[in-house]
Amino acid sequence: MLAAYVQYWKINLLTMLEYRADFFMWFAFTIVYHGTALAALAVTMLRFPSMNGWSLREMFFLYALWMTAHELHNALFFNVTYVPEYIREGRFDRFFVRPFDTLFQVLTVPSRTFPDGFILGLVTLAIATHVAGIHVTPLTVLTIAAVLCGGAGIDLGISLFVAALSFWLIRVDTLRWIVMSLEQDFTRYPISIYTRGVRIVLAYVLPFAFMNYFPASYFLGKHDAAFGLSPEVGLLTPLIGLLWTAFSYAFWNIGLRHYQGTGS
Amino acid sequence: MPLIVTRDLRKVFRSAKRSPGALGALRGLFSPVYEDRVAVAGLSMEIERGEFIGYIGPNGAGKSTTIKMLTGILVPSGGEIEVAGIVPHRKRRENARNIGVVFGQRTQLYWDLPLVDSFELLRAIYGIPQDRYRRSLDAFVELLEMGDFLRTPVRQLSLGQRMRGDFAAAMLHEPPILYLDEPTIGLDVVAKEAIRTFVARVNREQGTTIVLTTHDLADVERLCRRIVLIDHGRAIFDGPIERIKNEYGRERTLVVRFTETTSAPAIPGARLESLEGLTARFVFDRATQRVDRLVREVSDRYSVEDIAIEEPELEGIIRHIYTQGYAGEERSA
Ligand SMILES: Nc1ncnc2c1ncn2[C@@H]1O[C@H](COP(=O)(O)OP(=O)(O)OP(=O)(O)O)[C@@H](O)[C@H]1O
Ligand SMILES: [Mg+2]
Repeated sequence: MLAAYVQYWKINLLTMLEYRADFFMWFAFTIVYHGTALAALAVTMLRFPSMNGWSLREMFFLYALWMTAHELHNALFFNVTYVPEYIREGRFDRFFVRPFDTLFQVLTVPSRTFPDGFILGLVTLAIATHVAGIHVTPLTVLTIAAVLCGGAGIDLGISLFVAALSFWLIRVDTLRWIVMSLEQDFTRYPISIYTRGVRIVLAYVLPFAFMNYFPASYFLGKHDAAFGLSPEVGLLTPLIGLLWTAFSYAFWNIGLRHYQGTGS
Repeated sequence: MPLIVTRDLRKVFRSAKRSPGALGALRGLFSPVYEDRVAVAGLSMEIERGEFIGYIGPNGAGKSTTIKMLTGILVPSGGEIEVAGIVPHRKRRENARNIGVVFGQRTQLYWDLPLVDSFELLRAIYGIPQDRYRRSLDAFVELLEMGDFLRTPVRQLSLGQRMRGDFAAAMLHEPPILYLDEPTIGLDVVAKEAIRTFVARVNREQGTTIVLTTHDLADVERLCRRIVLIDHGRAIFDGPIERIKNEYGRERTLVVRFTETTSAPAIPGARLESLEGLTARFVFDRATQRVDRLVREVSDRYSVEDIAIEEPELEGIIRHIYTQGYAGEERSA
């Protein structure tokens, strides 16, 4: 399995080198995408000195934390997004006839995936950590790493859930789109600025708040104004990522048994 | 112990039925009406190690569905299934090690990758030792003449080239069982012949058990000793090709070429099927008419240049069964 995984990355690297123009375009897009989001954040903050007690520097860290976890998910698990397409077009069959776990095979379909976004995220996060004035010890580094993995796990859990739904439903595009925009729009600001309903969704239903709001509160030593929870809640992120992934994986395995394929 | 066993195997596809109109769609949302389609309706068969089975039947008969259950892609709705002692959908990964699959309609290769890259990935997936991998790959490249397009991305390959790549990909790990679902669809005669020679050889030399689904009955006639004929999800014939020929092909054709123009030739006991120029075709029942008598009669009455007797082709027989139904005894092994 490890050999197959290594081979997968080798092929991705070769593909990236072969389609360099495409790769650079994509990389430029990633920079512009996150750059725009950060610029928008800065512009908003020109008008307010702070938002619910969060300064621009702290919001920069908030964004960087989400960005890095999300890019980690993109680097490792992005193929999950293609599953509904594979199923609808009957291309999912092939994952049943190879001697590996189906999900592992989905994740290792050669693509142009490259961890460039994640690397960009790490750099941004390092800068943001510095700017936010967080005192960094080896333990902080480990905690941040665990939070990033947990965040990527939350992303994976949710996208895997949507993907598994497509074993029953033919079209899940709308749902996928809703989830995606929820994530993009509601991870930029501290969730305490939203109404109670939105806060509950972000903390307990689709726990995007655990990708950045809660852990950022912890690292910045901020009091949680959304639910009045203690900052240590932010340390639950790895656990929540694990739970969501485990839950969705179980759901996925049920879905596999319902796979009907296509007629031709 | 047979290698592949199915007992009363069934597969029912269930899909939500859509009622017409917006109101119907709305109703379907809350109380969906399901429509069941029986694709395989109680199939029992046994296949021994080393056999080469022609699995044939009209469109929609349930062939691909059966193969998908044998490969572990689909979970059966009922009945039993065992392949090399394994229930495919329960131990999918173990089963996968024993099988190779080619779906002619759909490639298993990666669209953007050169063929060799797909092969390399498969080598890693199956953990094939480097030297064995080299050896098999070289053999495939030679047998299937893939040297020219080994480094071409799959999307640029022609259908026949791609299919050859798919064969190699299915066989690289030397599986004891090979399922071929319409593997020669759309191939030209040369490519078809290359593939036929290849699979015949694999079956003969490695003892690979092969289940072949195809609409090209020449494939079956060339390669298979036994056929399983299914219709509406049920086996209606299972046995050697000779037997279906004997049962169905009772009719023979006597082709007579006269030396001079002959109008309305006739022989007792045979029916004139056609007369074109100097050649007449008479159809007779092999069970009731003796060939030597017919030959004597025709040469006594007319001046004959040449006589030949034609056996029915499998294609004609199968066409007859598809249109008229199978009248023989139901499925005997
Ligand atoms: N995924 C599916 N969902 C619903 N019905 C299906 C599905 N796959 C197959 N069927 C139905 O099951 C029946 C058998 O299909 P199958 O593909 O097994 O036929 P086949 O013998 O392979 O035909 P062909 O020669 O055309 O390939 C058909 O009536 C088909 O419509
Ligand atoms: Mg078919």
